[in-house]
Amino acid sequence: MGRMSRRGAGGLLVGLLSLTTALSGCGAESADGPVTLRFVWWGNEDRAKVTRAAVDEFQRRNPDIKVETEYSGYDAYFQKLSTQVAGGAGPDLLQLDRATVGEYAGRNVLADLAEYTGKELRLDKIPPNLLEGGKVDGRQYAVAGGATTQMLIFDPSHFEAAGVRVPTAPGEKWTWAQFAEAMAKVGAAGQVAGTTDFGWAVDWFEVWLHQHGKSLYTADGKLGFTADELAEYWEVIGTMRAGKGVSPAEVTTKMDGSVQNSGIVTKQAASEIGYDSAVTGYFGAFGPNLALAPLPSDVAESGMAAMPPVSFAVSQRSKHKAAAVKLLDFLLNDPEAGKLLGASRGVPPNEEIRAQVCSSAEGGSKAVCDYEAAQQDKIGPAFGAWPTGSSAIKRDFQRTYDDVIFNRVSAADAAKRVVQDAEQSLGS
Amino acid sequence: MTLTKRLGWHGLVVAVLLVLLYPVVWLVSTSFKPATEVISTLALLPREPTGDNYAEVFDGVGEFGVLHYFWNSLVISVGAVVGNVLSCSLAAYAFGRLHFRGRGPMFGFMMITIMLPQHVVLIPQYVIFQQMDMVNTFWPLVLPKFLATDAFFIFLMVQFIRGLPRELDEAATLDGCGPVGVFRHVILPLLRPALITTAIFTFIWTWNDFFSQLIYLNDAEKFTLPLALQLFIDQATQSAFGPMFAMSVLALLPIGLFFLAFQRFLVDGVATSGLKG
Amino acid sequence: MTQSVLTGTSGATEPPVLDGPPPTSAARGRRRGQGVAYLFLSPWIVGAALLTIGPMVASLYLSFTDYDLFTAPNWIGLDNYVTMFTGDERFWHAAWVTTEYVLISVPLKLGLALAVALLLNRPRRGVGLYRSAFYAPSLLGASVSVALAWRALFSTDGTVDGVLSSVGLDTGGWVDQPQYALLTLVALAAWQFGAPMVIFLAGLKQVPKELYEAAAIDGAGPARRFLGVTLPMLSPVILFNLVLETIHAFQAFTGAFVVSGGRGGPSDSTLLYPLYLYQRGFTDFRMGYASAMAWVLLVVVAVLTALVFRSARRWVFYAGENR
Repeated sequence: MGRMSRRGAGGLLVGLLSLTTALSGCGAESADGPVTLRFVWWGNEDRAKVTRAAVDEFQRRNPDIKVETEYSGYDAYFQKLSTQVAGGAGPDLLQLDRATVGEYAGRNVLADLAEYTGKELRLDKIPPNLLEGGKVDGRQYAVAGGATTQMLIFDPSHFEAAGVRVPTAPGEKWTWAQFAEAMAKVGAAGQVAGTTDFGWAVDWFEVWLHQHGKSLYTADGKLGFTADELAEYWEVIGTMRAGKGVSPAEVTTKMDGSVQNSGIVTKQAASEIGYDSAVTGYFGAFGPNLALAPLPSDVAESGMAAMPPVSFAVSQRSKHKAAAVKLLDFLLNDPEAGKLLGASRGVPPNEEIRAQVCSSAEGGSKAVCDYEAAQQDKIGPAFGAWPTGSSAIKRDFQRTYDDVIFNRVSAADAAKRVVQDAEQSLGS
Repeated sequence: MTLTKRLGWHGLVVAVLLVLLYPVVWLVSTSFKPATEVISTLALLPREPTGDNYAEVFDGVGEFGVLHYFWNSLVISVGAVVGNVLSCSLAAYAFGRLHFRGRGPMFGFMMITIMLPQHVVLIPQYVIFQQMDMVNTFWPLVLPKFLATDAFFIFLMVQFIRGLPRELDEAATLDGCGPVGVFRHVILPLLRPALITTAIFTFIWTWNDFFSQLIYLNDAEKFTLPLALQLFIDQATQSAFGPMFAMSVLALLPIGLFFLAFQRFLVDGVATSGLKG
Repeated sequence: MTQSVLTGTSGATEPPVLDGPPPTSAARGRRRGQGVAYLFLSPWIVGAALLTIGPMVASLYLSFTDYDLFTAPNWIGLDNYVTMFTGDERFWHAAWVTTEYVLISVPLKLGLALAVALLLNRPRRGVGLYRSAFYAPSLLGASVSVALAWRALFSTDGTVDGVLSSVGLDTGGWVDQPQYALLTLVALAAWQFGAPMVIFLAGLKQVPKELYEAAAIDGAGPARRFLGVTLPMLSPVILFNLVLETIHAFQAFTGAFVVSGGRGGPSDSTLLYPLYLYQRGFTDFRMGYASAMAWVLLVVVAVLTALVFRSARRWVFYAGENR
């Protein structure tokens, strides 16, 4: 600590900041008396409505626990969450995604759920595949709030017009060569590209790596791929781009995983790789004339995995961990809660509740249920949480890919830069 | 002034406005587009105009009716206006007219405070309000205005005060006015254009401010318009852009009317000469 | 004029902000004025002590640490600064993008604001309505709806592309291309010129009419009246707008954030310095590094502001001090 800064208001503040972090986990559990929990998530209003309904039901059954809920859009959510946690005013139960589970767990923000598992927190109905996604260094810090998997969503009319058949039946598959050929045909036939360029997202590269027996990150949090592997991947896509198989740079650079910028919705591509938890969003913005297909693979393993679209975690600094775990267990396992929540965060993680929800699903949710059922035996275990530094890597991956598609740098040089940047981000 | 000259002037103004207001027109017109057109078309006019977006907004946003958020925004904005006008004019008078030890360094420090990016002081400030138990109240949004933390407006008023002829102060001093009297009877009336400017900007900027309201307000009950607006949008799930545009347009109305009402006070200005005699 | 505001020596008996000999009456009341001055300043002093100084010092301290938002900061000396200057290409890139942005947007915005203010500064029917109409873009701020409007305007096949194509300029969409994307942010900033326009208008209202009358009697034409009366009388306000718009342009964040979806793309072409700072602090969890970036920006902007103030001695005219 700087001696100088100890003096004055600034020193005091730094002291407070250290204190808010140093006190983590010291909060005594107050078991008796009414307890107030704060539960936060990101999402739209539909998700908020059903989540609040489930929370109301929880409060009805547990009159001694009051739950305050907060929600907002994705960016705003994390701005606020970071500030609150840093300021020592974090929520008790929070929603995280792929990259942030690792970032938050790695910085001691999340409680290890081991001491509750099997008792207050029942995880036996959640597929082990899915639970992998909430583990950091072998410890369960988060639990999937839903289930999703990778998919190709496509507009069948373009593919019919181009005379291309997409393998959608259970057990059917296609190779990367067949995939590239199909996309090129669609691109050549119509006004739109075959598919949205998928080189920008580290998520789809991860699938490719798994098909090649590698992974994005190793179990001990190191980088799991080489520059050569990334260069090869990007070069394959580059060939597709040359033939209008994938979208041009001006379209690709807008991608952020959101439905409103999607190539399909803006009618610039006939298909798109995504997570099936977004299907209801696609249906809402585009209409229901869309179908789902598996990702291509040249090997027996599909590379696809059961992923948590969102995860729930309990704050390490919560004064009411037991109550927060109780709420978490309710959201995951209670049939009534399951009915209320439906497919608001992808299909339910609990297998019994999933069957129940899927039996009465319609529209986008039904499409997802059907797809997950058809692909069931191809879907492998979740890839595991990403390590600290992965948020920076995810973003640097995309910005470097921008340089590739705008022809500012070769795929090989760009790949080297991604690896270099990534090693720096992981080292920090 | 000849008629042709006057018509030419109107023509020029309207021509420039047509270009400048095009995006505003686009925005308003988009609020009448049905959901399927909002994202997928760039056209100026809706193919099938609909009032559904407005109906949805008036059905309520989140748990509350839209007027609830208007009210919260209004309370905070009015509080901020009162705070800024009072505290900044006091500080500006001291910096602009009075002599005191440490004025130069203090003025320099005040300028420095607007040069530091807000994102790095956000967390320490949050800790302070957290310690004062003010998080999730309107205080963190209003209290700083009463403590003259908007250096922008102090500097603005200092510049205006320094432009006022000093003979006026001296005449008042000879009449027996102390610094307080000079401030009340000479400076404040003459400063009106700057005060109106401060009021207008504070109101509009507070009305539109998203970031600090996001950070400090937790309960939906305390949400303001910008916070309610972002409830329509979520990258990760499906966004309701139509109602968002409708509500953006509605949110514009009060500040538009506010500006229209108050800008007339800028017109008269102050007949400086009249006071000189 | 004396030294610039920012370099003014502390404790000087002669206040560095103002120049010229103090008026005799003020000299008489100076002792009493001291206490009254602090009274007038008291809200500001409380605010600075309570809300401003602490967070500033904290951020300065954190700039020498590895603070990651959630765990206690560790002192790492100058590491953040060294990395920034020697090992971070994006830092230099962001600094360059911001420089370009400031150099283009500030003159454009101020020029527009002054031109429109002069245009509207006459007693005509409907001038109030026109004034409000010109201010309308600035009412919108930088919200998501504005960002969407901007994308629609400047994307491929959008309005601007359409207009340019019709006159034979086939640039494609600006928001999606690295070589043009920054211009869309410049356009957004310049489009919202309402604030400096209003300040110019208020300044124009303060110009005493008799000065124009006197100039007219001397036979000065409109150009001479503008250069001889309007510009000098407006110079304090021009200084204000120049300083504040420059500071704001260096800190421009929200526009770039909403238009580029927080990323600064395409291909980092809109990665303004504050946006990169934000990414470092909040998405990369490197708040120590972000704090160091903030202080580097502060020093650069402070030096620039000091230079402007210094030059202001030669071109700013204060009616209250010119004797």
